[in-house]
Amino acid sequence: MTALMLALLVGLLFACGTYLVLQRGQIKLVLGLGLFTHAINLALFGTGRLTRGAPPLVDGESVKAAGSAAALFARYADPLPQALILTAIVISFGMTAFIVMLIFRRDALTGSDLLPGELAAVVNTADPFAEFTLRMQLPEAADDYDLLQYELDELYDHPEREVENARE
Amino acid sequence: MTPHPTVLILPVALPLLLGAISLLFQSMGPDRRVALQRTLAGLGLFANLAVAGFLLFWVLQSGPQAFQLGLWPAPFGITVYLDTLTALMLVMVGLLSLLIYPFALATIDPERAQLGFFPMMLFLLMGANGAFITGDLFNLYVFYEVLLMASFVLLTLGGTPSQINGGIRYVVLNLMGSMMLLLGAGITYGTLGTLNMAHIAVRMVEAPYTVQALIAGLLLVAFGAKAAAFPAFFWLPSSYHTPHPVVTALFSGVLTKVGVYSLFRVFPLFFPTLLATWQPLLLTVAGLTMVVGVLGAFAQPTIRRLLSFHIISQIGYMLMGLGVALSPSAYGVGFGLALAILFLIHNQLVKTALLLGGGAVELEMGTGKLSELGGLVHSRPLQATLFLVAAFALAGFPPTSGFIGKLGLLEVTFAAGQWPIAAVSVFVSLLTTMSMIRLWQSIFWGKPRLAPPPEVRAPGRTLWTTTPSAILVAISLAIGVAAQPMLALVQTAASQAIDRAGYVRTVNPALTEQERSLPLGIQSQPSERAGG
Repeated sequence: MTALMLALLVGLLFACGTYLVLQRGQIKLVLGLGLFTHAINLALFGTGRLTRGAPPLVDGESVKAAGSAAALFARYADPLPQALILTAIVISFGMTAFIVMLIFRRDALTGSDLLPGELAAVVNTADPFAEFTLRMQLPEAADDYDLLQYELDELYDHPEREVENARE
Repeated sequence: MTPHPTVLILPVALPLLLGAISLLFQSMGPDRRVALQRTLAGLGLFANLAVAGFLLFWVLQSGPQAFQLGLWPAPFGITVYLDTLTALMLVMVGLLSLLIYPFALATIDPERAQLGFFPMMLFLLMGANGAFITGDLFNLYVFYEVLLMASFVLLTLGGTPSQINGGIRYVVLNLMGSMMLLLGAGITYGTLGTLNMAHIAVRMVEAPYTVQALIAGLLLVAFGAKAAAFPAFFWLPSSYHTPHPVVTALFSGVLTKVGVYSLFRVFPLFFPTLLATWQPLLLTVAGLTMVVGVLGAFAQPTIRRLLSFHIISQIGYMLMGLGVALSPSAYGVGFGLALAILFLIHNQLVKTALLLGGGAVELEMGTGKLSELGGLVHSRPLQATLFLVAAFALAGFPPTSGFIGKLGLLEVTFAAGQWPIAAVSVFVSLLTTMSMIRLWQSIFWGKPRLAPPPEVRAPGRTLWTTTPSAILVAISLAIGVAAQPMLALVQTAASQAIDRAGYVRTVNPALTEQERSLPLGIQSQPSERAGG
């Protein structure tokens, strides 16, 4: 029963993580990756057999007392998965910190050198190709269309905010 | 004289030590810091290549070697394993990073150097070496993360908007790949009860098909994503054109190739039967990788974007070699893997030469746009020649290493009766040739469209940027002209890589005997695992 609950929980975490990673927002991306990490850590935890109240140490006495290897494993908790999880947590912590810094840096950069007025105009027209037309007309400085794409995505999420900026 | 097996950890320990020491200088003044870090990195890269060369010599003399860290017997400690394939990869990565070093000295800007470019190069080398030499699945994951962390920093060093943007894609997609690897390692431990690669090799063949397929699928996705195979290749073209050209060259020689190496290492060792039954899957992935890569390259407007897509396309050939790795051929079983290894080495040489050449043009002209470049053959005849030879080597023309690799791979696929993939690979070669000719033409042929920037480069700089490509192209030509020694070398490497019994015997002969006394495997204890 415990194993089933654990499996369901891992599946749920994976599902939620996938949903969040596929969303547009950057914070959702970070949270989704965090859920993935939790799901995998729990899966790792489950690989060490779920035993309760059993020691992680085996000595000569317990081997003799158990009689057979199979009986020994029933009264012994596997400590290795926890060591693996510890390593995985440390690594994923570092990675998450790095991604958060990258996103922070991108926000700081994109806030300054794009053209909110023109972009807001694009979002407000009914022409579905307006975005492409604008891209064609953009100067050399905005060559990196990836960056532009991100900015437009943000605009579609919050058009009203940019319209406010444009009016000012 | 037999060296003590502790030398096996030198490829990891040496870059780690020197990298850590160079980070200590970070608190000094900028000029002294850079000077010290540069010197240490140069020494480290040179020593690393020397160690790798010695290990290759040693393994050719006395066969595969293993060392147990902390002297714990095999399945309990972490194993370090060296065979000819490992040693070849160590030498290749050592050679490439040493050759990229002078290019970096000449071209890297002071800001990037001050932010720690040279220590990160050492850490990248440490991660790659560790991933090559480890004999433990979880340890492999850890070294992948070390490699990735160093590459994240190198990729975003400088912090331009496009770098940050490409960096996010790169980081997120590679992180997903690493998670699959971690999950694969966890499931391996849960089902087989071990993480030691030799021990896994013993137990995996007895595991039911579902377990094998699950683990093989996870590892294939994980390593495939690292190697930029179809369909998980998107991170590569959206990030490789953004950093400093030196970083792109370093990545193309090291990063994706570690993924390919891991596939070459893990599949013949763990899943010898799946290599046969999954052959259609592997060959489909290989074909799609080739075609998507080369077609993507046609649409690219800049040098490095175009070459990034060619990296993907060439990965397809290596996967094709993996697909026919164990197919019987006139030269014996494992010849397919041997040629895949040869192709991997060839690709490392040639692709790095191309990216260094293209990067030098981009740095000297101030732009990498094909529409703005042209006519450079008049001012840079040597660079133009080297680029042309490397381009034809990539396309597979004789007398270069590319010809040997592609001809051999075709021969094996024909012998295996896999006509469709052979046809696809020939067609892709044709497209590659067209694409490379177009690239060379737009950079070097015709009338100069863009005047060189006013600041004239010092003559020493051209020498430092051209010599590495010249050496790489020369090695590629040497392999193409005198192929026999190289073929013998990769055949040794392949025969050791597919020798599963030999791997287990080298790591710990007791592993096979233990199986009889310790019922750890999944079949013996199904009820034990379900209990709460």
